[in-house]
Amino acid sequence: MGEVKKIKNLKEFSTSADRFEGANLLCPGCAHSIIVREVLNATNDDLILASSTGCLEVCTAVYPYTSWDASWIHIGFENGSTAVAGAEAMYQALKRKGRLKQPDRSTKFVAFGGDGASYDIGFQWISGCMERGHDMMYIVLDNEVYANTGGQRSSATPIGASATTSPAGRKSYGEKKNKKDMVAIMAAHDIPYSAQVAPNKWKDMVKKIQHGLNVEGPVFINAMSPCTTEWKFDPKDTMMISDLATDSLVFPLYEIIDGHELNITYRPKHKVPVEEYLAAQGRFKHLFKAEYKHMIKEWQDRVDATWEYLQRREEARV
Amino acid sequence: MAFDKLELRDIEVWDGNFAAAQAMRQVQIDVVAAYPITPSTPIVEGYAKFLADGYIEGEFVMVESEHAAMSGCIGASAAGGRVATATSSQGFALMVETLYQASGMRLPIVLNVVNRALAAPLNVNGDHSDMYLGRDSGWIQFDAYNAQEAYDLNFIAFKVAEDHSVRLPAMVHQDGFLTSHTAQGVKTITDDAAYNFVGEFKPMNDMLDLDHPVTHGVQAEEDWHFEHKARQHRDLMLNVVPRIHEAFDAFEKLTGRKYNMVEQYNMDDAEIAVVCMGSSVETACEVAQELRDQGIKVGVVGIRVIRPFPFKEVIDALKDLKAIGALDRSSPNGAPGMLFNEIAGALFNTDTKAALSGYVYGLGGRDLTKEHLRDLFKELKVNADAGKVTTQLQQFIGVRGPKLAFL
Amino acid sequence: MAEQGWDEFEIGAMLRSFNGEAKDVALTLQEDRDYSSNNSFTASVADWRIEKPVFNKDYCIDCQFCWVYCPDISIISRDKKMIGIDMDHCKGCGICVEVCPTNPKSLLMYSEQTDEEQALAAWPSKDEGEK
Repeated sequence: MGEVKKIKNLKEFSTSADRFEGANLLCPGCAHSIIVREVLNATNDDLILASSTGCLEVCTAVYPYTSWDASWIHIGFENGSTAVAGAEAMYQALKRKGRLKQPDRSTKFVAFGGDGASYDIGFQWISGCMERGHDMMYIVLDNEVYANTGGQRSSATPIGASATTSPAGRKSYGEKKNKKDMVAIMAAHDIPYSAQVAPNKWKDMVKKIQHGLNVEGPVFINAMSPCTTEWKFDPKDTMMISDLATDSLVFPLYEIIDGHELNITYRPKHKVPVEEYLAAQGRFKHLFKAEYKHMIKEWQDRVDATWEYLQRREEARV
Repeated sequence: MAFDKLELRDIEVWDGNFAAAQAMRQVQIDVVAAYPITPSTPIVEGYAKFLADGYIEGEFVMVESEHAAMSGCIGASAAGGRVATATSSQGFALMVETLYQASGMRLPIVLNVVNRALAAPLNVNGDHSDMYLGRDSGWIQFDAYNAQEAYDLNFIAFKVAEDHSVRLPAMVHQDGFLTSHTAQGVKTITDDAAYNFVGEFKPMNDMLDLDHPVTHGVQAEEDWHFEHKARQHRDLMLNVVPRIHEAFDAFEKLTGRKYNMVEQYNMDDAEIAVVCMGSSVETACEVAQELRDQGIKVGVVGIRVIRPFPFKEVIDALKDLKAIGALDRSSPNGAPGMLFNEIAGALFNTDTKAALSGYVYGLGGRDLTKEHLRDLFKELKVNADAGKVTTQLQQFIGVRGPKLAFL
Repeated sequence: MAEQGWDEFEIGAMLRSFNGEAKDVALTLQEDRDYSSNNSFTASVADWRIEKPVFNKDYCIDCQFCWVYCPDISIISRDKKMIGIDMDHCKGCGICVEVCPTNPKSLLMYSEQTDEEQALAAWPSKDEGEK
């Protein structure tokens, strides 16, 4: 186990030497790179990284350029998890056989994937990795849409969002189903740690990433990643949207230890109405038309119910 | 050493699957990521048992699909170590996406493919549909005709694939059930000699070299993709063959068993021959010997290395014949068979007078009987005497119902 | 980067982040690293920008919000101080300005052509309407 990097405050955090580089091709204002920076800067351990096909992957390794300062691999859309699991297996084998080139270094294995790669096409691969107990972390960059291919719905797309394959129209308010609860599904694999994080809460993020990297076994992290292009907000507003998401509790921050012990890690002092979160994004614009306005109440009720559920889970300590 | 070695008898009675599993144990693979599928399952089971009994020091990752098996192999191989797995048929088909990624990333993974038909209709028996499916994937493909060869070719595959001038993955094929489940005498190599033949794994561009970070699996669009694919093809065409010859020579020195890019049986003064692969080669050899005894000059040519295709060796073996039968154990589905096409392509610009006809046989594990081959050789003899193909160019043999022939 | 022929690059489309050995990357600042020409650090996306951030250090309190929320590793902080903007890698998203808590802000967006000296000379004063 490596030494946990000391990050008392933001000033201290800002002395980090980034291992993710600029002139990548992510959109201006993309939250993916904010999250990746917070994750990578949370540790000084050596990292072996993987990405599934998606925005992050196609924007950070377009020949002849790489934006990664640690070893990184991409195979396909569905298998970023298994790519890093394979590398971790090799690490274990070479460690046992005494063939690691730098045997004394603390080395961690982290895979990134979008919600399309994780909730949908790569679901089985992640489940396999979690079940087998690889010493690795899987992080979903959850922007609730297939952003890389132009905004198609995924099973992380929330109800009422307009996506290109679930568009709002005269007879439809857009996506009909609410997103599936990946954190609960992954926690049900009885893994030592799973958590939900958001880029605006950097300290919460760093704490969870550090905890996750230092427990032995598979760790699952769902990171909200507001998408300026597909959520339809101005690139400068990425952090404002993040704040609305966490403060309206649309995106509650919590962790689940050993598959059952749930801790809420952020309680907004001033709870923001969900309506404000929805109103700030073009993908929900149609919900403010008279015929779909009932959806806003549905949203608030559902968010309240989820918050209630999380609080009861936390209290119950089971 | 944290693992035990096995004392093998000089000759063990093994089927093709167990022979492959033993070879995988002997080369001390670092990571096997695998998913079982008939008829290759016993390779994975055999390896798992070796692990359970303390004969394996590496990692064995039992994944949740064949796609994940090859994905895990790719991650492990890029990390830097010896990697192998096994599969068949539908599992191979599920792997196809990752096969291209393994070869494009130049990762020397060894894949034992126990050949089996592809559904629909679902079928567990041996034909060459999966083997043919892999032929454009950028892998080296070796074909074993029996258990001994399945054992031997594994060592050769690792040695060639891992060579730094090659760095391409390799498949070792054997026929489902006919080879994989038929126990035969297999001449063994000691654990030490087997490991020393393949040698210690030498990493290259390994992700686990923490002081030299590498990026694997980039995107390369129209401005770069062609150059990378061209390089891979070039290396398959020019770098692989010399390494295969060296490995075959070294293996002969070690064991006395000689392998060739193209195997020739009774071909010295042959006038007619069949070209085939897998367990059919041995059946054809028996029939050829029978006909030789009757004074008919027949021979058999087996393709040992399917990719890179032994173009020149095929010309040398076939150009002086009068009639050739190309036997394809995979439905071409709307074209001449692969072997027919490859042979025709090889011979087209030569001054050969050989009459070439193609046969599709044995789909879904249908037996290729000696009687089939006797009839086939007879037909080829007629072609040889006539100086041309007297039948249609493509015929199906061994299938019930009215005769099927095309072209 | 110059386009190369098939025989001029490493096999497998593999890219190296650094030239030669790179020890302790996590403890080595960008200026002390030997980046390979394949590292996107050596490339520029300056031409993506329509607007650019201008930094006025007179008002900066070194809170580092701009550093942590910059998606493009373009806020240069050293020894816990914000010292400038990496204009090769800044895409002009404007997040740094939005998260800047000072009054007046220490970072403001200007059109790409704006002269920095002029912008600083005409920096807005404290907005009494804000908290």
